[in-house]
This record gives sequence, structure tokens and C-alpha cells, in this order.
Amino acid sequence: MCGVIGIIYKNTKELGLAPVGGDLIKMLTALEHRGKDSTGVTISGLDTQEDYIIRCRVDNKKSSISDLLLQTISKLGAVIKYSSFEKGFGKICINYEGEISELANNITLIEEVKVDSIGTNSEIVKDIGNAASLNNSHLIRDIKGTHGIGHVRMATESKIDISHAHPFWAYPFPDISVVHNGQLTNYHTLRRKYQDMGYRFQTGNDSEIISVFLAERLASGLSLDKAINESLDVLDGTFTYLVSTADAIGYAKDRWSAKPLVIMETENRVAIASEETALRSVFEEEIDRFEPQEKECMTWLV
Amino acid sequence: MVSIDAAQLSTRELNIKLNALVEDNQDVKIINPRARHNVVVGILKKCQITVEGSLGYYCASLLDGPTVCIEGNSGWALGENLMNGVIRLSKDAGASVGASMRGGEIFVGRNAGARAGISMKGGTLIIKGNAGFLTGFMMQKGTIIVCGDVGDAVGDSMYEGVIYVGGKITSLGNDAKIANPTQTELSVIDKKLKKNNIAGSYKFKKIISEKKLYHFDKLERLEKSAI
Repeated sequence: MCGVIGIIYKNTKELGLAPVGGDLIKMLTALEHRGKDSTGVTISGLDTQEDYIIRCRVDNKKSSISDLLLQTISKLGAVIKYSSFEKGFGKICINYEGEISELANNITLIEEVKVDSIGTNSEIVKDIGNAASLNNSHLIRDIKGTHGIGHVRMATESKIDISHAHPFWAYPFPDISVVHNGQLTNYHTLRRKYQDMGYRFQTGNDSEIISVFLAERLASGLSLDKAINESLDVLDGTFTYLVSTADAIGYAKDRWSAKPLVIMETENRVAIASEETALRSVFEEEIDRFEPQEKECMTWLV
Repeated sequence: MVSIDAAQLSTRELNIKLNALVEDNQDVKIINPRARHNVVVGILKKCQITVEGSLGYYCASLLDGPTVCIEGNSGWALGENLMNGVIRLSKDAGASVGASMRGGEIFVGRNAGARAGISMKGGTLIIKGNAGFLTGFMMQKGTIIVCGDVGDAVGDSMYEGVIYVGGKITSLGNDAKIANPTQTELSVIDKKLKKNNIAGSYKFKKIISEKKLYHFDKLERLEKSAI
């Protein structure tokens, strides 16, 4: 069992950035009973001046690794505007005109560095433990943005560590990430197919294929709606997943309606979660909720 | 009527307090449930319970006797294993409403999710709106009445029991077939709907088991040798 959540504010252009971090933590806390092996969020629409935000983990047994990482990034022609390394978690903001795949590939050549995300306006923060400990370690609650997704994990298929925590970034496509509840049965077949096409996988977790699949479809020119729709036939197994891009959120639910999802929508925002109790933690007012059925999907734009 | 504020209590405290009040022959109203799981469970007595707000998973389950009225939605498996009594939900039900129910009546005021009435063993499940995928999956007895449409694979692997559908049937499940409802059956449905304030004329189709999937008279090899 796992829990997925998402929130998107629709009028941030007029009303300014919204308390997405706070909403995500509240919803994840309400879903803690669905899993607390690890918890993670993608927060998008961040107020940032730089081209890219890199979120990574650095094995801090050797202090020189962070310097090596910064040197590697600089060597590729990127200008580092900000960098911080705390308790093994790194955040680097850069201006960069080159290919993201080249940047990502070079960073991952350093064995002691794991990249969680590279985004233009988004970042992935994930850690072992529940929502409260994620917030204590990474101060999520005060982060403002336009939309975000989150996940609480009760591991079933692969190991419990930060790399296998959700959300999964679609390496090397900026801003695309996925949270997933369920098990994919054709993961290995799909993974081999995408590896043959040249895509890299960071983990042995089945959910990672969803983000790579969607990102590849988007890169080939499909709209998010169409890419998600296609995934309903390509993915086999049980799934309810949410995807976040630079300016949208979408969900898809498998043909057996095996995993739960409920949605509440007002004029200003949409909240999506595995259970209504999470929605009630961010909506004070009494509004109707909608439950998608089998083989359904939908997207919302910022 | 005594009112309980769910926001002030843990789920266990709430259920203990509710049971104590019911034992004391009180009618109870629960406010601020905020879609909490496992509320109103294990009550084996005739009583009146009202819930103002939505409930989470497995609520109003393991009941024998109470009349529970819920002003809101429910999560998965509302009224699971209901033995007797009435559950009235004003809005939508999540998946598996009335799972394994054995008696009594569950009324859903709007739509129900997937697997409504899964493994039902008796009683009546009435859904005013639509029901999702696998309605009446593996049901063994009882009646499901859906006034609206049903999703794919309705009545899949059902043993006994009957499903009436007022709207569109997306597809029949394995071993389910359409039969003609009798006048008596139609008037029974009519009465049940009127009792739940549903007006309107529906052309109910009846779905029963084709009984090609199960063979209770066939014994396993070891069972035969034991006779």
C-alpha cells in the first residue's frame, strides 16, 4: 500500500504563488497510515531566477565529493549561482545552456552522487520516514509554488532507501516526475525497451518506468493528455499514478480500478489524493468530491 | 439525541463512546468525521446513528441492527459484512460498498465505485446513480438494484443472487446472463425504490448467473475416496 497526493493552484498568475509545500505536508500527514517507509514531494512553479535547480544526494563520507561535483558542473559551462550541502542533501542552482542529458550523465559518473531531480522550476525532495520528518529535515512547509505531488511509501517490490522513494524523476527530462500506487507487471519488458532506446534508469523500482515513458512521449510531441491516455494501454498491472510537469498535473487509473483516488476541485485549486481524509485536511469548506473510475485519466494546467 | 464531536476523539475512543451510548439506548449523532476510517463498527443492536459528514474506509461495517444515516460520501467498503439493519448514504460511495453483506439494506444516494456488492451473501444494495466496474463480483446471494448504468463485467463469476440495472450495461462479466424480470420482481423493486424516495420509471434488466463456472456436486479426488 502507498498513498499519492497532488495539488494544483489555477490562478497563481493573478494571485501569486501558493502555499503548495504546506498543503503537501498536511495531506501526506493525513495519509501516513498508508505508508511511512519513505515520503517525498515534487514542488513545481518555484520562484527561481536561475535556469535549473539540481537536487542530489552526496555521500558525505568524503568531503571532497561536493567540490568534485561543483567542478564537474562548472566544466560543462554552467554558472553556479547557489549551492548548499546539508546532511548529504545537495541543492545547486545554475545557469546553463547545454543539454540536460549531458549534465545529468556527467554528474552521475561520480559514483558517490545520486541525482533526485533537475528542473527549471521544480525540485524533488524525498527522504526515509514520514511527512513530519521530511518537513523537519527539509523545511517543506514554507515552500511556495503553483503545484506539487507527493507520496507515502509502504514498500512492496523494491528496497527501502531514498533512491527508491517517490517521486521518480524522468531522467533526463527536466520537471517531469511521477508518484505511483500499485505494481507494474510489465516493468522489465518496458525497461529493456527503453534501455535499448538509450534511456537510463536510476533504480530498480517499477514506478520509474512511468515517468520515463511519459517524458519520452512528451518529448516526441504528444500532449500530456495523450501521453497519459496511451499509458493506460501500455502499462500492465495495478496503478493509480500522478504526474507533474513544469505547468501541469495529471492522473491515470488502471483498468481494474484497483487503487483508490478521489478529487476535490474549486475555482482556485484542485486537490487529488488516495483518500478523502487527505483532501479534508486542506479543504475547510464542505465541497463535493469526485472519484475516478477504471481506465480514466485527466490533466489540469496551472 | 446525543452528539459526539469526532474531531475531539481518536477513532478507538469514538467507537467506544458510541458503543456505550448505544448500550444506554441513546440515539447518536456524529459530527466532524472528516472522512475518518473505521468509524461506527461492531454495533449489534437496534439504534439510530446519524453521521454529519463524509466517512473513510470500512465505516458502518460489522453491524447487526442499527439504522445509520450518513450525510456525505464514504470511502471503500461501506457496510462491509452487514448482518442486519439499514445504512443510508446521501452521496457517493467508494469501491466495494456492501462487501460480503449478509442481510439488511444499504442505500447509496448517488454513485458507487468499482466492485459494489462484491461477494455479497444476502440483503439488498440499492444504488440510485451509477455503479462501476465488476458490480456484484462473485456475489453468492442477495439483491443489487442499480438505477443508473453499470460499468464493465457486471455480475462476473456470480454464484447466486440477482442484479437489476435500470440504465446501460457496459458489458456482462464471465458467467453472467440477462434474464427477464417477472411482474412480481418489478413490483418489489418499485416498492423498495419508493421506500427510499426514488421516483421515476426505470426499465430494469435482470442479471443472474449462467452457472457454467461452478459445480458444487463435483468432488475432489481425495474427497471422493473419503466417501
